[in-house]
Amino acid sequence: MTFGDILRTAWSNLTRRKVRTSLTSLGVTVGIFTIVVMLSLGVGVQRVIQQQFDAIGLENVVVQPRDAERNPYTRYVRPEREVVISPAKIAEWQQMDDIVSVTPIVDVNESISKRLVLPGDAAATIAVGVDPGIGINNPFETPPTALAGVLRPTKDGEIVISQRALRRLGLTAEVNNLIGQKVQLIMETPRGESQSFDYTLVGVSSVDNNLVALTPNDSIALKAWWFNEPDLLDKEGYDYALIRAKDLNVARQLTTQLRAERFRVQSVETVLELASKIFLVINIMLGSVGGLALFVATIGIMNTMIMAIYERTREIGTLKAIGASRSNIRTLFMTEAGLIGLFGGIVGLLGGWGVGRILNRVALAYLEREEVPIRGDFFYIPPWLIGLAIGFGLVVGIVAGLYPAARAARLDPIKALRHE
Amino acid sequence: MGQSTSLIRTTKLQRTYQMGKNTVQALAGVDLEIERGTFVALVGPSGSGKSTLLNVIGGLDRPSSGEVWVSDLELGQAPDKKLVSFRRDRVGFIFQSFNLLPTNQAWENVALPLMLAGRSRSERRKRAENLLEQVGLGDRADHRPAELSGGQQQRVAIARALANDPVLILADEPTGNLDSRTGRDVLLLLQRLVREQNVTLLMVTHDMNAASYADRIVHMRDGKIEQIETIERTAEAVA
Repeated sequence: MTFGDILRTAWSNLTRRKVRTSLTSLGVTVGIFTIVVMLSLGVGVQRVIQQQFDAIGLENVVVQPRDAERNPYTRYVRPEREVVISPAKIAEWQQMDDIVSVTPIVDVNESISKRLVLPGDAAATIAVGVDPGIGINNPFETPPTALAGVLRPTKDGEIVISQRALRRLGLTAEVNNLIGQKVQLIMETPRGESQSFDYTLVGVSSVDNNLVALTPNDSIALKAWWFNEPDLLDKEGYDYALIRAKDLNVARQLTTQLRAERFRVQSVETVLELASKIFLVINIMLGSVGGLALFVATIGIMNTMIMAIYERTREIGTLKAIGASRSNIRTLFMTEAGLIGLFGGIVGLLGGWGVGRILNRVALAYLEREEVPIRGDFFYIPPWLIGLAIGFGLVVGIVAGLYPAARAARLDPIKALRHE
Repeated sequence: MGQSTSLIRTTKLQRTYQMGKNTVQALAGVDLEIERGTFVALVGPSGSGKSTLLNVIGGLDRPSSGEVWVSDLELGQAPDKKLVSFRRDRVGFIFQSFNLLPTNQAWENVALPLMLAGRSRSERRKRAENLLEQVGLGDRADHRPAELSGGQQQRVAIARALANDPVLILADEPTGNLDSRTGRDVLLLLQRLVREQNVTLLMVTHDMNAASYADRIVHMRDGKIEQIETIERTAEAVA
């Protein structure tokens, strides 16, 4: 008996009892449906989160110097540092293989008071902060864009100011016309000393804060004046360095190496690894619910097959008499059971996909209403899940068919032929 | 090895069943020889062992002792696989209640033994249509059993028994479920097939009228052969 004949015969036997076959495979459908919906949710959410992390850039490594010991008494004394991100260090990192870029970052402390003024007109002054520009976006906020010019200054003496700060300074003209505007930052110590720094506006950012962006050198200059330490850069170095590695592996190696050099290194990957572990547990739990449904479905198929074999005992006897071997009979009934499972699996997969689409729309509509800038597939069906769903259906059917098929194969043809 | 002229030869054939605590002797030493190309009727009251003998000769049942040769195969000692291929390739079965598969069309039923033997679908269809033609149902190839009368169903079953071009056809009460007119037609058909195709036919029946169509009648009682009767037939009677 060829496999095509087995399939054709099994199919015609199944279609003989359409309602029973459908109801039996409905059990598998429910199980596979549950597994598909649950796992696609698990995978989808994990993927959306992964995409958010990717936007941050997993290949980015943020390096910080290590403070030897914090001085808790005053903000006017600069912290002692154990290791320093010196310009030499930056240059060294830039020379390394598989490093895309190294960006030094200076954090001008919020508590250092500074005001932004227009030259010659001290009437409009506002307190501002200096955006260190870590270069890592908060995934739950829309990333800032340049409304005019650039987002970060590239040359010393240049400044990027938020639109909001410009408005408050009284500069309400069209942002493109403001490029080239001269501004001053005035710093004042509590002792009354003050110093002004001149800049040229090269960009307007959409940041919703009174923030300005300066080059690392200009930022260092502000701090150097504040701490009265002209050699600040040599002594303390930069506050951060953002190292963009070629890929995740390089980032991983770099992290290990820099930690060994006593730098403080943050990498988002550690967080993601933990998240993956949590999702694995959740997926297993969700999958188990479907697994339970499949177990029940297995018993259902077994029951149906045993009934079918009882009803068709005479037929089995006839087949054996005219030359069907045990394995012919066994294969035939296993195929019937397998088809019930396969059918249930396919319907369950399609149902799970459909329901996932609907729920995804609901979720996206909700996020849109709440103005959360996250888009993506919360019910994502990866190719392996398609294979898993259909394969599981088939396996459930075949496993359920093992015992009934063996029973059918063992039937004594003489007794089977006498069966009423 | 059996003699060259005889297709079936049994010696001291015994078959006992365990029915609870009782041992039932269905066959109590049967010695029988059947030549090729004969139509043999096995008659006897119920429980005489005629069906058991048929099953043993057909390789469905194994003797408890003794030998049963069909052509050059001793069925009692043959492995299961041999028995399966023996039934599939060399024997045709005809049953009292036809035993056609209800989901299959007439031609598919006829071609079942060929499907089991792994022949191609087109070859099967051709052979089945040919056989249905021979039994007078050439126009019913695509009908399902439920759409056929009892006599037609039995003729489909006869065509199925012929599909593998068997040396031996075993029929268990083939007219038992038919009225006397259609029964007669079926018996005449079987008689014709034996004559035309030189096939050997062994038919179990309790109906002496049906047995009268055979060339030889083997009477059985209590698991033994009581008497073998040879029917002399004139040319006119055959016609």
